[in-house]
Amino acid sequence: MASVLLEVKNLKKHFPVKEGLFKQTKNFNQAIDDVSLFINSGETLGLVGESGCGKSTLGRCIVKLYQPDRGQILFNGKDVNSQNKTEKKHHHKAVQMIFQDPLESLNSRHTIEQILIEPFVIHNIGDYKWRLKQIQILLDQVGLPSDSGSRYPFEFSGGQRQRIGIARAIALGPELIVCDEAVSALDVSIQSQIINLLLDLQDELNMAYLFISHDLAVVKHFSDRVAVMYLGKIVETADSDTIYKKQKHPYTKSLIDSIPTPDPHCIKKRIILQGDIPSAINPPSGCHFHTRCPKVMPCCKINEPAMRLHSSLHSYSCHLD
Amino acid sequence: MTELLCSRSPVTNPLLEVDNLSVCFDTGEETLEAIDNISFTIKAGETVGLVGESGCGKSVTAHAIMRLLPQPLGRISEGSIKFNGVNLSTLSLTNLEDIRGSNIGMIFQEPMTALNPVQTIGKQISESLILHLNLSIPKALQTSIEILRRVGIPSPELKVSEYPHQLSGGMLQRVVIAIALSCKPLLLIADEPTTALDVTIQAQILDLIQSLQYEMKMATLLITHDLGIVAETCDRVLIMYAGRIVESGAVADIFDNPSHPYTQGLINSIPRLTTPSKSRLPVIRGQVPLIKDYPKACRFENRCAHRINKCSELSPKLEKISKSHQVSCFAWKNIQLSRSI
Repeated sequence: MASVLLEVKNLKKHFPVKEGLFKQTKNFNQAIDDVSLFINSGETLGLVGESGCGKSTLGRCIVKLYQPDRGQILFNGKDVNSQNKTEKKHHHKAVQMIFQDPLESLNSRHTIEQILIEPFVIHNIGDYKWRLKQIQILLDQVGLPSDSGSRYPFEFSGGQRQRIGIARAIALGPELIVCDEAVSALDVSIQSQIINLLLDLQDELNMAYLFISHDLAVVKHFSDRVAVMYLGKIVETADSDTIYKKQKHPYTKSLIDSIPTPDPHCIKKRIILQGDIPSAINPPSGCHFHTRCPKVMPCCKINEPAMRLHSSLHSYSCHLD
Repeated sequence: MTELLCSRSPVTNPLLEVDNLSVCFDTGEETLEAIDNISFTIKAGETVGLVGESGCGKSVTAHAIMRLLPQPLGRISEGSIKFNGVNLSTLSLTNLEDIRGSNIGMIFQEPMTALNPVQTIGKQISESLILHLNLSIPKALQTSIEILRRVGIPSPELKVSEYPHQLSGGMLQRVVIAIALSCKPLLLIADEPTTALDVTIQAQILDLIQSLQYEMKMATLLITHDLGIVAETCDRVLIMYAGRIVESGAVADIFDNPSHPYTQGLINSIPRLTTPSKSRLPVIRGQVPLIKDYPKACRFENRCAHRINKCSELSPKLEKISKSHQVSCFAWKNIQLSRSI
């Protein structure tokens, strides 16, 4: 049994919504509301949900780009919000991030060498010669030509830029990488290359991934376990086969139903969800999903369903049996 | 197969006929050929999918049909586009305006940028009704409300007086669809209509387009990069790579018997719900070349696993390999063979 690398307990992050002349806080955007999850070392947890459900906010809290309002993030058993300076630096080394837009997340005025040397400089690892050698190894690992070091990000295509982002993320030998929509902006043929690269690197370096995406097919393919998020809450977690075959939550079911299948002979009887995703500023009462749920019952509007354990790895929050 | 799928409209003459179309962009320094000699037809009532990766020329094709190429950079350098027998590529702008928006409707990718942010929804829909159908302003507004109701917008009588920023992405895309369909066009060009939307909203919008299409018996050119959408909605498919059509056929031909190495690669490299988790996906090696670096002969040659010497010397022509299936590859027989093994 693998050890638990990261544990998120009852995490909450609300963003103030400021309005009016004096920018008074009128409301809160409840981006994450009481979220708990865990990631074992060397494992991939997929986090799937529609835009605005809080999945990126959760990723950013884990890499400490945001300070959560309430709840705990335990990394290797230690609370990351009560770290001292050295521990903080170690956290930044051990938890890295890959962003959606590779061009925006790379400094356009730096060469690839300058981009990739920065992590070593910040953490004061090795001398210049060693760092350059390390960069060559990194470029080789992510499948970029070895003369890329002196070039600038704009000289590369989208897929190659994402490889640079990946090289930067693995430079310091992290234990966890948060991939925030890392393959969503790429074309199909490039997307599969990057997915394979990330899978190979995981085998090689034994890292854990938190793989955030809106595409359930990609998440299911990439992950060991999947967590489905809706309006700031996790509604179902299970291993990826259970999510696909024996899912319990009606939202997970409708997410799977809405993915178009690349097979013209497959005739699906799909349930199309009605309506839009409600705003996270004023989420519906009771179960957040009740406004769109095809199986809504009177109690859903009043009581919020608690997370139920269906089996050791499968839990969901729904009043239905 | 195609005939069978098109049975709802037994018209034999094609509605849209694109013949040897080439589009060039003059950048001042050089002339870039974005589309090279493509030909295809769309029959009345038929849904044709145009599939390819970014930069392959699918949107340029749509814009060329609508004559919306950026001026003065882009121009149709060769070929003709015939709509109901009228050549759109040489038509005067005044005559073209009668066709745009009334006989051919278009849905754009980004609903947020396709609408005018300082005009009400109602005004933007009535515009084409007043222009093309000569309706009076109150009558046009009344019709707009009916159209909005048809595309599934709740309380349309209130929504007509709202502005685009007050609506969500999915609702805005419904408004864009309402504008495109307001004059009951014969042909709808949908350029990545759901790419900017969430999956559950995407399912709603695709369902809406399909039911409206069936109701109005209009033809659709659906531009997308998502093969899943194509499999579920189209009758025929055109696969585009680097400015050329490399394979075309009925949906069943393309998915059951992909005969161009690019099509095969695309279909194989999609992560599916049914593939085992964490397995490696088959990939197309390399990347799409830049428009100025296109290989001289077959443009897929440098990424192809089945290349033969001939591929770097001659451009393969689209070849008919069955009644409804065309492919431009010298090695398609070997490819089909290697697939069946």
